[in-house]
Amino acid sequence: MADSHESDLIDLRAGRDASFFDLLSIDQLTKKDLGLIFDLARGFKKAKTAKLSLCKGRSQVNAFFESSTRTMASFDLAAKNLSMDTTSIGSASSSTKKGESFLDTVETLGAYNVRVVVIRSAESGVPEMVSSHVGASVVNAGDGWHEHPTQGLLDALTMLDHFGTKDLSGRVIAVVGDIMHSRVFGSLVRIAKKLGATVRVAAPETLIPASVESFGVTRYHDVEEALKGADVVYALRVQEERGAKGFIPTLREYSKSFGISQIRFALAKPGAILMHPGPVIRDIDVHSALVSRHPQSRILEQVENGMAVRKAVLWLLSERYDGKKKSYTNL
Amino acid sequence: MTTLLIKRGRIVDPASRRDMAGDILVADGKIKKIAKRITESADEVIDAKGLIVAPGLVDLHVHLREPGREDKETIETGSKAAIAGGVTSVVAMPNTNPVADNQSVIEYVLATSKKLDLINVFPAGAVTKGEGGQTLSEMRELKLAGAVAVTDDGADVADRGLLKKAMEYAKTHDLLMMAHGENAAITDGGAMHEGWVSTRLGLPGIPDLAEDLAVRANVMLAKSTGARLHLAHLSTADAVAALAEAKRAGFKNITGEVAVQHAALTDEECEGYNTNAKMYPPLRSRDRVRAVVKAIKSGAVDALATDHAPHIEPEKLQPFVDAARGTVGLETSFAAMYTYLVKPKHLTLAQGLALMTYKPAAIIRKNKGTLAVGADADIAIFDIKKEWTVDPAKFQSKGKNSVFAGKRLTGKAVHTIVAGKVKMRSGTVL
Repeated sequence: MADSHESDLIDLRAGRDASFFDLLSIDQLTKKDLGLIFDLARGFKKAKTAKLSLCKGRSQVNAFFESSTRTMASFDLAAKNLSMDTTSIGSASSSTKKGESFLDTVETLGAYNVRVVVIRSAESGVPEMVSSHVGASVVNAGDGWHEHPTQGLLDALTMLDHFGTKDLSGRVIAVVGDIMHSRVFGSLVRIAKKLGATVRVAAPETLIPASVESFGVTRYHDVEEALKGADVVYALRVQEERGAKGFIPTLREYSKSFGISQIRFALAKPGAILMHPGPVIRDIDVHSALVSRHPQSRILEQVENGMAVRKAVLWLLSERYDGKKKSYTNL
Repeated sequence: MTTLLIKRGRIVDPASRRDMAGDILVADGKIKKIAKRITESADEVIDAKGLIVAPGLVDLHVHLREPGREDKETIETGSKAAIAGGVTSVVAMPNTNPVADNQSVIEYVLATSKKLDLINVFPAGAVTKGEGGQTLSEMRELKLAGAVAVTDDGADVADRGLLKKAMEYAKTHDLLMMAHGENAAITDGGAMHEGWVSTRLGLPGIPDLAEDLAVRANVMLAKSTGARLHLAHLSTADAVAALAEAKRAGFKNITGEVAVQHAALTDEECEGYNTNAKMYPPLRSRDRVRAVVKAIKSGAVDALATDHAPHIEPEKLQPFVDAARGTVGLETSFAAMYTYLVKPKHLTLAQGLALMTYKPAAIIRKNKGTLAVGADADIAIFDIKKEWTVDPAKFQSKGKNSVFAGKRLTGKAVHTIVAGKVKMRSGTVL
């Protein structure tokens, strides 16, 4: 069974390679790259959890400098499914906490000589900094407030497969919540604009970054206005600590003013879908009844698509048909 | 009597409104004679044909790091960096370790620089003890020890009641205050200018307001108290407007500087998470840079400085938000001024040099920055045709963190003379 999935996937790939060596930002991706990743992700979805040997003999380090459960599990499972050896550097055990200089951490990652380094960091730009100094392909698994490209890819795949279209032109995506601190938004807005969607953001002014309009989006302070006629309602998590830091008075008030309730969701287009990157704070970001059991919720499908997209990316980065090597400089 | 003859240069001395081809004779550390042609023999002769002979530059904003952070810079390496850039006088910031909040540190800096005999180092003292913003330092003692100004540079005195008292007290002793215009509560962890670039990079932004609120508060207090206030490193449209307005209203006690990089580069330098472009104030967006350049052209700005801030490599090889703030500048300031302000014709060479010579000298009341007969023979000789690529590995400074690294600049110091002694000859620091 695994063999037939494998040959299907190899046929699907048809000798194609990605234009990039590291996946740091959606900005890097060409239309061709997107098509290739989505094709392969759909193939991986068909193969479900069958153990594949596509990346056998390769290894991957999951360097998660910021704690993460879901994304790390997803990357780790995806790699293992492809028969890669993986190891993880968790935030608690990471040496940066022990006073090791960032520079030494980067050098160590480089010296592992692995094929793929997956990086999650609390600070923006860390994957990009590391990528220019290691031979491994770096995959950004979320950096600070910047980007989370595989999340953007899985979000786009979820939308495309729902609408059954090649792009998102004519679609309206309303993103609600903590836009400013969201790397999910960072990748979502880039990929949505690449695919031709209209993007609205709705949040208190304190949670919207400067010049957000330059992404080509419209800002709303009234969530109901933003939801009207939307094809996708995308809720982002608002963290408790934002209240402590004065971005919002309380989660209670946030929930009342921006939380996605059934009544508010009904303002979107009939058949609109609800998405959320997780973890959801039920009844704060999104009304509990909408989260997983609502027929229009795509939250669990996002998780499934995440695994498929990550397999596609890991395969493309760890096995190149064109034999090209990434260039980098030692520190 | 030792003599030095500088021949056939183009002498540009804004203080004397002089721009002429000619010779300069230096004797015993002073300018003795300036003429079209000097035939007297001298102990040493420099042929300055094709070069600009200018007063040695005066930089009001330099972090020499000694005492305490000799890993970043020492008075010696910082002074040599100055010489390499044609800078012959610097004001040394007090945020050393220990902080220059007492006369011992001032005396140490003065004694060390005297012993080194490289450039003129004019130390600034701290406004508050330990730059802690809590209690005033003994400003009179600092002044008597030789401090030319007081500043808590690196931070503003956030307690406005204390800042008011500091100004009143500084005025009592006729001491210059230098203000680092930053409202830290507005900066709030910000790492670069807040705008489209910070949003794109996902980096916490520093709004103009962080600077504007602090600059306005300092200006209002200086207007009210009459203290002599010098506004350090202005970078926003409103900050330079505050300075211009104070000038128009006749407040001669208020002056201000721009750090060359803020008139030259934009926040786009932060692209790729380039930590050498991380500094405070942050490099601003193009419209702000334009406003700052316009203010410089209008004459509202009194000086161009560097805010030379050396750091060691591990402090800069960090995630952008964690990296140290600051760029070195002593070895690029003339070139940056020439490349970004004179070449595009925002300023004449004389105007640019004025902002880096006698005008800053006047702010600290030092008789420097001029080539008038009888003046101290601090002279910088520049080649304004020289194009070069900034390579920090070649710096005299220990700090390799230059925001100009890799940039192609025009103009370079060739010879530097301090008190009549040649400290750099043909590009080699002696």
